Amino acid sequence: MTRVMWRAAALTVLAALVAGCGVTVYEPGVYKGNDDPLLSMHAKSEHKALLQERFTKGQADR
Amino acid sequence: MARMKFLCDSERCIECNGCVTACKNEHEVPWGVNRRRVVTLEDGVPGERSISVACMHCTDAPCAAVCPVDCFYTTDDGIVLHDKDLCIGCGYCFYACPFGAPQYPQKEAFGVRGKMDKCTFCAGGPEGKDNSDEERQKYGRNRIAEGKLPLCAEMCATKALLAGDGDMVADIYRERVTKRSSRPQSWGWLTAYQEDV
Repeated sequence: MTRVMWRAAALTVLAALVAGCGVTVYEPGVYKGNDDPLLSMHAKSEHKALLQERFTKGQADR
Repeated sequence: MARMKFLCDSERCIECNGCVTACKNEHEVPWGVNRRRVVTLEDGVPGERSISVACMHCTDAPCAAVCPVDCFYTTDDGIVLHDKDLCIGCGYCFYACPFGAPQYPQKEAFGVRGKMDKCTFCAGGPEGKDNSDEERQKYGRNRIAEGKLPLCAEMCATKALLAGDGDMVADIYRERVTKRSSRPQSWGWLTAYQEDV
């Protein structure tokens, strides 16, 4: 009985170890880096309006 | 949705290299790395043209397509940026880019490449807070987060280099071309030498 319990415990530990060593599969062509805080700022319409105003003031022909 | 674009008006560019200097100074770009440069065609002969070139922030960026570690991303406004923590300096993006935009600092002897560096449209990179010391050190200043546009274009004395919403840039260029008619009148040979060479 004790031997069966030991085997079951060993199998459980082995299964846990194998599950932990799974291969990580990455999606190709999908950005893998850190998040850029600029992205959330960029999505706001006020920020876009600010950049457009800056362009009109600084780069439009006189 | 706006798409940020550069446009260099070759009829106006006078090869002053002000854009190159502004870029290097603003981002403290190391020696040997040029995020922007001025290319001159037909140098010294009539019809000479100069054009300022950097990353063109392509809509379907070939650099991103070939990157084996997928370190490129594109903002909502179409600015192509990359993560230097992921970059392995393989150089694939340099071969893929038709503008020669990706640059590599030489790290060691025998041409060992460092992490890729390129024009960020003055939008920094994915490093902590915007305009943090870490971001400045890795990617340069983040002017876009400050509500400003790329310094190279804002510094251009002849307004040859434009940077901003592609539609607005196109409107300005279209108006210029219409005013010039078929031949350049503002900075061309006709203006300078009174003869149509």
